[in-house]
Amino acid sequence: MPNLADLTAAPATASPAPPESRPPRPRRRPRRIESEFRTAVSPHRLNSPGGRIVYWTVLVVVVVGFTAAFVFPLYWMVTGAMKSTEELVRIPPTFLPSKVTFDAYAEAWELMDLGRLLGNTALYAGGAWLFTLAVDVTAAYALSKLRPVLGKLILAMMLATLMIPPMVIMLPAYLTVKDLPLLGWDLLNTPWAIWLPAAANGFNVFLLKRFFDSIPRELLEAAEIDGATPGRILWSVVIPISRPILGVVSILTVVNAWRDFVWPLLVLTDDEKMSVSVGIANLSAQMPQNVLIASLVMASVPTIVVFLVFQRHIMAGLTAGGLKG
Amino acid sequence: MTRSGCRRLLGPLLASALVLAASACGSGEPTADGTQPSASGSAGGPVSITVNCMPPKTNKAQRTTYEEDLAAFRKLNPDINIEKVTDAFPCYEPRTFEAKLAGGQLETVFFVNFPNVGRLVDAGQAADLTPYVGELKTFKDYNASLDIFKKDGKVYGLPTDGYGMGLVYNRDVFTKAGLDPANPPKTWAEVREAAKKISALGPGYVGFGEYSGNNVGGWHFTASLYGRGGDVVTPDGKKAAFNSPEGVAVLENLKQMRWTDDSMGSRLYIDWPALMKAMAGGRMGMMLGAPDVLISLRNDFQAKFENYAITAQPEAKALFNGGAGYMINPKATPEQIRAGLKWIEYEFLTPGKGQLDYVRAKGANLTVGQPYPDLYGADTPSGQEVLRLRSENANVAPEQFALWVEGSKGITPKAEPGPYAQEIYAILDTPMSAVLTRRDADPAKLLADAEAKVNALLAKKG
Amino acid sequence: MTTVTMRGPRRGDDPGRRRNARRRLAVRRNVTAYGFLCGALICFAFFSWYPMVREVVLSFQRTNFVDAPVWVGLENFVTVVQDAAFGPAWKNTVAFTVLALVLGYGVPFVAALVLNELRHARAYLRLVVYLPVMLPPAVGVLLFQWFYEPESGLFNQVLGFLHLPPLDWLNSTDTALVSLVIVSTWMNLGSGTLIYLAALQTIPGELYEAAELDGAGLFRRIRHITIPQTKLILLVMLLLQIVATMQVFIEPYLLTGGGPENSTVSVVYLMYQYAFNFGNINGGNALGVMLMIVLMVFSAVYLRVSREDKS
Repeated sequence: MPNLADLTAAPATASPAPPESRPPRPRRRPRRIESEFRTAVSPHRLNSPGGRIVYWTVLVVVVVGFTAAFVFPLYWMVTGAMKSTEELVRIPPTFLPSKVTFDAYAEAWELMDLGRLLGNTALYAGGAWLFTLAVDVTAAYALSKLRPVLGKLILAMMLATLMIPPMVIMLPAYLTVKDLPLLGWDLLNTPWAIWLPAAANGFNVFLLKRFFDSIPRELLEAAEIDGATPGRILWSVVIPISRPILGVVSILTVVNAWRDFVWPLLVLTDDEKMSVSVGIANLSAQMPQNVLIASLVMASVPTIVVFLVFQRHIMAGLTAGGLKG
Repeated sequence: MTRSGCRRLLGPLLASALVLAASACGSGEPTADGTQPSASGSAGGPVSITVNCMPPKTNKAQRTTYEEDLAAFRKLNPDINIEKVTDAFPCYEPRTFEAKLAGGQLETVFFVNFPNVGRLVDAGQAADLTPYVGELKTFKDYNASLDIFKKDGKVYGLPTDGYGMGLVYNRDVFTKAGLDPANPPKTWAEVREAAKKISALGPGYVGFGEYSGNNVGGWHFTASLYGRGGDVVTPDGKKAAFNSPEGVAVLENLKQMRWTDDSMGSRLYIDWPALMKAMAGGRMGMMLGAPDVLISLRNDFQAKFENYAITAQPEAKALFNGGAGYMINPKATPEQIRAGLKWIEYEFLTPGKGQLDYVRAKGANLTVGQPYPDLYGADTPSGQEVLRLRSENANVAPEQFALWVEGSKGITPKAEPGPYAQEIYAILDTPMSAVLTRRDADPAKLLADAEAKVNALLAKKG
Repeated sequence: MTTVTMRGPRRGDDPGRRRNARRRLAVRRNVTAYGFLCGALICFAFFSWYPMVREVVLSFQRTNFVDAPVWVGLENFVTVVQDAAFGPAWKNTVAFTVLALVLGYGVPFVAALVLNELRHARAYLRLVVYLPVMLPPAVGVLLFQWFYEPESGLFNQVLGFLHLPPLDWLNSTDTALVSLVIVSTWMNLGSGTLIYLAALQTIPGELYEAAELDGAGLFRRIRHITIPQTKLILLVMLLLQIVATMQVFIEPYLLTGGGPENSTVSVVYLMYQYAFNFGNINGGNALGVMLMIVLMVFSAVYLRVSREDKS
């Protein structure tokens, strides 16, 4: 496990933290526990002898606990795909594969044409992300800062969509995508069938609006007095200080697009256009267990990578300190 | 401010206009080829049809033979254009069926498994094939498996795969438990004894596995009940009939095995693959299943095929008839129906061709010799031809299926319990899961409850 | 609504002209706002609002998608209400929601609080807590199926190690629902934690410093600063959590098939059965509309109460 820890911890140290907060490494004997921000626990208490013990205990407990709860299953998956089908059903289960083989990974890659599936899914997730940001950020900004007539009603109607189980409106939504009202376009088997519905996400609008509400009005007024248009203000004032929430919205969108299953199953029926979860599901009933697990592992890797990338942005956005002033 | 106001508006408007324009371009492509079938279907030229259920990529051997058949069929019928073949698996996907039908995306020729046939016929979601089936050479040779596709004297589909229930067992496990694999149980009492010995082999060993959720519990209850001579609904289909001594016996037997003998393990198998995976794992002794289970264990679950065998369902008075077939899109034109039937006939119903081309199957790493699909009467020309080809090219050990063939002879096949099979199965899941999870479960009471529910359901449907 | 966030440059002192100018500004502001909103309005209208309306329409019809639909009044509603699984489905859904609240609401907030205090391994912990969310749901289900295995499963092995009797987990009416709640919590904990964490990080540090100067201890600081400062997000997340768990489907669908003995049938599971297995899509629609109404009424009441609470 140390490898993984080093690997994933890397972005944290590499993130553009303000240089002055870097602890001067040499000389200080008991290293101070540095705080980038003030939180509920006071830095002085934290660095008192007692606080230090409590802090390190909590840290160790949390790291070990989280690793057991969330990393171990992943370990089981990754190694499970290295076992043979017989070994997978063995009782008691083996914790290390008796013979490490990557055959299942190779077979999964080949059998499912995983490269193409992943490419398709990246296209869907990327587009969904762009559309969601473009559509939901402008909407949240309008609702939060421009406050148009009926704005509250519109927000309420957007939030109302969270009350409907996706399964409920799947069929009507499918019919809509098949034959867009008024326009008569058929979006089936096109990326638009994923991109546009993804943008209609009430939760994202809510999260963004909530964040924009917390931006001090003076900041915007200052820009406005300088003659900036609302679009300009959004682009050069609001967005830069909203990176944390944009990071959260981004990751939620990408992960949803990546995981979504029933909807792409309906709207992307062409072999050539399938997403990875549909492709796996199409073959899962027939696949040997270890090949299935291998394909699931490979299908999960991109989201994890994307998260690592966004993690930096979230942290960078926070350290920029736009909200702290 | 006035000028900037204009610009303020322009930005977002432009953006959304771009979105719309772009989506218009994006949608142009699929519509172009998506509209072809209906346009060319009515004209005098070649008929376009679409078909589904191509074997998935995981099933390489069958996929290859299927592709060969497509090519041969196209050559043979230049006036039929099979323009799209889908390989989504499972072939019948309940989540997308209605949507595809509603959206006009359903294939002209579509696969359906027996439990869903009744309700599709009932809902008018399959084309009436009666005027056309006379053109099929082997149609007159069909056995009773066709009945499920019939309603009021009309034919709504053609079975292409059919088999009766049996008892699947693992010969290797039998040997380990000191049982004779050549002499599998013939009565339920013998099943109990064998199961006890198998589960005594140690942790992880399960004597007898059974389903209990997601409608497959009720489905297997039906199979057991038919075997004991009971029925799920009355012949007129208006009342429940399973609250009978036979029904109680099914549950009582399971309850004894689960709690008195402790020979069924403590895990519930809630969907079709769950029990199949357990059986393939090599530590389960027996399960109810048709001969297709053996082939599926080999092809789909990577089990050691030679370890498995099937024998007749114990004490069976009737055999639950499982299988699948093809129906035709209710929106198809007569020309499309004819073309679709031609494809079904070529691929599935012609002895020596398509799925019945046993010479090729033998050389293509496919099993030959399993006693299914069982489509034709044994004394019809087609039936005899299939039997001859099958036995001439057999490459599976005959003893894997022999006991089933021998023991099932002359036992009447019995079809799914009507158009509301799935609703009834869902209700019957409850008694099945009850006897497998509660020591104090009362079979008689459970069945009485279920009976009331099914009666209410049937009364409402009229 | 009347507060103009963007003040125009001052021009003259004539009150009439100023009023006029203000009205013109308001009009322009609205036009701009709707310009910004139009993308979202189009997306929502096509892919959420219109399908919602159509859903309601379908619940009053009978259709097989071949022939023209027939209006049947309340027939679909009567059918589903009379279904034997209707009562258990609602009961289980409510029970699941309550259980999921106990676990799924408190745990992410506490996790976020703790993560916010840690100065090390932050990136690692944040990644790790979010891992389950990123995995396809099938993975979580596969895993827990294996953990819950009665004999060989990890959980019963651990219980045996601690000299405790094994549990039946998914295979008993008593524990099946709780087992599903555990899976669901594990799979969804990450999103909540990250959202809370983002909210915690917007709390100005001075508030804590000031409270500390006033002599407030850690728990008082959490109670009087952290929670009030994140109150809105907490209230809304509570609502969203309830609304989301009321829609529980994938867990019973994949892990228990509604059993044993209907003990894990949920409303959406039943809806799925109607729409896709029973071939009664309109019955499914009727159930969906009922659930929609329940959730909307609940949300409206909840929002009203929490607003009164605030004032």
